[in-house]
Amino acid sequence: MISPKKISLVLGLFLLISCYESLDFKQLNEFLVKPVFTLALNYFSIVPSQFISSNGTQQISITDVTEIKGLQDVYITNDIVRLEFNAEIKNELDRGVTINVDFLDRISRLTYSFTAITIESNDLDYIYLEAIDIVAYPDILNTSKVRVRLELENTGVPLNPSDTSEFEFKSSVTLFIESSF
Amino acid sequence: MKKILFFLLILSAAKALGQNKQVLYDFAELPQTLLLNPGAETNYKFHTGVPLLSGLSMDFGSSGAVLTDVFALDNKNINDKIATVLKALTTRDFLKINTQVEVLNLGFRVDDKTYFSFGFYEEIDAIGYYPKDGITMFYEGNDAYLNKSFSLGQLLYKLDAVGVIHAGISKKVNDNLTLGGRFKVYSSAVNIESANNSGTFTTVRGTDNSYKHYLSNININTKSSGLYIKDPETDTYVIQDAGTIFGNTLLGGNLGIGIDFGVTYHITPQLKFSGSILDFGFINHKKNTLNLKANGSFVSEGIGFEYNPDNPSNYWGQIEGDFKEQVPIDTNKRSYISWRPTKLNAALKYRFKEIRRYNNRNSTFKDFYSDAIGVQLYYVFRPLNPQLALTGFYQKAITKNFQTKVTYTVDDFSNTNIGAGFSAQFGIVNLYGMLDNLLEYSNLSAANSLSLQVGINIIIN
Repeated sequence: MISPKKISLVLGLFLLISCYESLDFKQLNEFLVKPVFTLALNYFSIVPSQFISSNGTQQISITDVTEIKGLQDVYITNDIVRLEFNAEIKNELDRGVTINVDFLDRISRLTYSFTAITIESNDLDYIYLEAIDIVAYPDILNTSKVRVRLELENTGVPLNPSDTSEFEFKSSVTLFIESSF
Repeated sequence: MKKILFFLLILSAAKALGQNKQVLYDFAELPQTLLLNPGAETNYKFHTGVPLLSGLSMDFGSSGAVLTDVFALDNKNINDKIATVLKALTTRDFLKINTQVEVLNLGFRVDDKTYFSFGFYEEIDAIGYYPKDGITMFYEGNDAYLNKSFSLGQLLYKLDAVGVIHAGISKKVNDNLTLGGRFKVYSSAVNIESANNSGTFTTVRGTDNSYKHYLSNININTKSSGLYIKDPETDTYVIQDAGTIFGNTLLGGNLGIGIDFGVTYHITPQLKFSGSILDFGFINHKKNTLNLKANGSFVSEGIGFEYNPDNPSNYWGQIEGDFKEQVPIDTNKRSYISWRPTKLNAALKYRFKEIRRYNNRNSTFKDFYSDAIGVQLYYVFRPLNPQLALTGFYQKAITKNFQTKVTYTVDDFSNTNIGAGFSAQFGIVNLYGMLDNLLEYSNLSAANSLSLQVGINIIIN
């Protein structure tokens, strides 16, 4: 009969000869997830009649604003390192248009503002890119609202309300995220 | 110590489902073989397992990647290594774990032809498939994947922690045929599962805006029981503490029933067939359930300004409202049924070499062959598709009280899975141990799959 001592010896030997390759789990400290998300943002298409108020007065500028949620989400916010705003603009109007884009927090304080963007008349392929490193402008992550103001160039010539030419604005934001494990 | 810690890490790092115990199946008439085939033959009068030590089994498997792929000391950047692994994995790759601990295992012979056994064991059983698109989205984002439809249907996982009270009987119908059955009452401590999901997320170039996002034909279902409890102070769901969870393995409220059925048939005195169906049953989850269901489709090009000062719009509110209307998310506490992972075993065994006789004092003697060869088939129903393992084995009784078995298995993890086990009887004390994937022990860090079963029984002939 095989004794327990012999069995223990065989099992012990087996465990001794089993091997494992050295592993370094500390490498995880260097692991970074770096996804890049691109999301559609604001868009609009304006015709000259929209600059004329209900009482028939031509306005020099018009403004619209929207809430933006998500940037306040702490899980995302802490890991965003860079934002890139992209805009594709087409100006068919008979005058230049200046766009002012402002980012506002919950109580409408400015968190970031683009330098005014001026698109000349009949510039149909204007591309705008604004890259923001969060480390330089951390306040932008407190943004709750985006305000876009359009200002017409003062040519001295009144707008034709029946003119069908358009001012088109398309935009997107690219979020660069770096998250450690 | 380092080795032990490493081994424990492997065992604790994974997820799970039914374990193929190819070495243990129909081996040495161990009491534990009755849990794999209630129609297995036994010839002892009484057995009892040593509480908590009679049966400990663990099984870990990762079909697509091993630890060395990521954590090897090779001076490569870990981000590059993980990216390589993630690219190589497919949606058919999975991670699984199965652990089973026998708390109580008793049996006694009712008469010459009938053996009754019963007991209680706890089992953690889980499997998670690799949601490649979801991981790609998480890891890389959508920016580089314009026009790609990320599938949400790849979300597929199941985890069960159950206590099982069982009672079974094996009956020798005649010299050639033994039948057996086992009735089980399951008590689920935790169940989480998600299956039959569908839907895609796609980003394309837009028309009105630069990009357009599609959530198409979303149908996501997740179910859970025993995991979450509502915190009355915050009115939110929080995860229960582990002590409460595992206390529920003994008739904790989410109960189910199941049966095992088994057969052994001697085609000739030396050739026998055996087979079993295990865990054909279900659990009705009705306590501490929390389910989520989302379905619908949604398209967005962002926020379309209207520049209408007379009627300013709540753009974000509109988008949120449209999303809630078009992709309603229903969170509920409805009861649900989960099916146990049913397993099938079948084996053909040919015994040969000198016939011996046990020194029995009653009529329950049987012929004894020192050697045997055969084949075994194991089949388990899994969420994505059933999985199959084919085993060839050689069994050898070195002495009357020391038996060994060597197996060669082809399964999802390996074509070179060699296993070995022994059963040793010292008086009334029986000690057994089994390991498979022995070749992987040359480098445990690179093992796709490891499993072991060990235990101590008291067996009285």
